[in-house]
Amino acid sequence: MTNGAREMIRADDLVKRYGRNDVLRGVSLEVERGQVKVIVGPSGSGKSTLLRCLALLEPIESGHILLDGEQVAGTGTTLRDRQLAPYRSQVCMVFQHFNLFPHMTALENVMVGPVNVRGVSKAHARAEAMDLLTRVRLADKAHRYPSELSGGQQQRVAIARALAVRPKVMLFDEPTSALDPELVREVVDVMEELAADGMTMIVVSHEMRFANEAADSIVMMDDGRVIEEAPPDRFFKNPAHERTRQFLQMVER
Amino acid sequence: MAFDWDIFWGALTSQAFVQGALLTIALAAVSQAAAIVLGLGVALLRRSGAAPLRGAAATYVWLFRAIPTLLQLLFVWNALPQLVPSLRDPWFTPFMAAFLALAINESAYMAEIIRSGLGAVDRGQVLAGKTLGLRDTQIFRLIVLPQMIRVIIPPTGNEFITLLKLTSLASVISLRELLTVTSQTVAVNFRFAELYSAATVWYLVIVSIFMVLQVQLERRFHWTSEGRHEPMQTGVPAAAGALNR
Ligand SMILES: Nc1ncnc2c1ncn2[C@@H]1O[C@H](COP(=O)(O)OP(=O)(O)OP(=O)(O)O)[C@@H](O)[C@H]1O
Ligand SMILES: [Mg+2]
Repeated sequence: MTNGAREMIRADDLVKRYGRNDVLRGVSLEVERGQVKVIVGPSGSGKSTLLRCLALLEPIESGHILLDGEQVAGTGTTLRDRQLAPYRSQVCMVFQHFNLFPHMTALENVMVGPVNVRGVSKAHARAEAMDLLTRVRLADKAHRYPSELSGGQQQRVAIARALAVRPKVMLFDEPTSALDPELVREVVDVMEELAADGMTMIVVSHEMRFANEAADSIVMMDDGRVIEEAPPDRFFKNPAHERTRQFLQMVER
Repeated sequence: MAFDWDIFWGALTSQAFVQGALLTIALAAVSQAAAIVLGLGVALLRRSGAAPLRGAAATYVWLFRAIPTLLQLLFVWNALPQLVPSLRDPWFTPFMAAFLALAINESAYMAEIIRSGLGAVDRGQVLAGKTLGLRDTQIFRLIVLPQMIRVIIPPTGNEFITLLKLTSLASVISLRELLTVTSQTVAVNFRFAELYSAATVWYLVIVSIFMVLQVQLERRFHWTSEGRHEPMQTGVPAAAGALNR
């Protein structure tokens, strides 16, 4: 189901608690079709939690999540956890530590979604997976297991695996921060190509080069709130908040 | 009385010993298989969200690990038919009783092994499965189970060897497994050294066979492309694969 509006995913006033710890204190966020949003903020500000909530991997206390015009989580939804599976593949997440399935080859990792979620035939899924691995420049590693791949290669397989379920939105949680510096570029390149191809993306990352080149806007989070949002040039050159200024100084060394 | 090799060899290859050995293997194998299935169920209950289910599963493990195996065996064979009339029917053979007792006893240990195996699977694996849109049952079957199995193979191998030897307890309920056969033969000819040696050789052979099988199984759960037998489909010959690692 697609709606005519440009908005692809929207969060209204999300509140998330772990025990007595208020991790998200009313976060609102809206990403238009084909837009790339980068989220930055200090450790513990709730960036990962926000992504997990948007990915429907965590229940929220209050607020709403709308995916392509349809409310999928929050106050007033009747969707139960078991009914969320089909929506989850529409907001597929890529993790900091890749989380590839170690008992499957790169190709099998990419095939598992299409075969079991979309129900396509194995032959068809294999061909599609091969195309996706080619797209992330890993066709020659298709029959390797994750333990035989470098971190950068594993993360590119993880991106191909996510693409294979044809998500409407892709969420990236610090996709390069577990990588050796020389491997960051190959992953960022793939992400920039995705952005250029029109994928709607929310990326938690402190890769300022990616933020600068690919982001439509940058969101600054602090203590469970969005405190500032601006296009990259304004965000970097002229941030409105003192907190953002301090943070940028810290990140840019 | 010197060691008589003819008697030793005769016993080793006798039909009674061969059948006793086969019965030992069969009893251990079916008991272990049932224990794995039961143990998996109990382990899953121990991780369930409902406290009463968790409590019931914990009690099960506590009970069947606390009671001596021999007592469980005697209980199943002698006491159960007293309580459950249908167990007095002919189908309830010593083999069935030994199977029931050993499977339940072993399942308590397997439940603990499987529980730790499930705990060893990284939580990120489940999240990755969820975000792809896999349903919980698919995540369990496709992602958690294979990784859990890899972890539990070595301790389960240990358990199986223990169980192979525990089958000898079934001699008290006159199941004609290896040790029963040995004792009965000894009672006739008093050739302790020869017959005990023959039984020992059989146990060694059986355990060795299963150790080899375990190595094969572990290799199948060693997830690298080297161990794979199917040809690589990239056009790179398997041998050349090692070069571009
Ligand atoms: N599963 C959880 N259970 C309990 N508390 C949690 C959980 N996940 C996160 N938290 C808490 O929520 C807060 C925000 O964590 P989160 O991981 O979202 O921050 P972050 O902005 O992603 O930080 P980082 O930059 O270090 O990754 C922290 O105080 C953390 O301790
Ligand atoms: Mg984080």
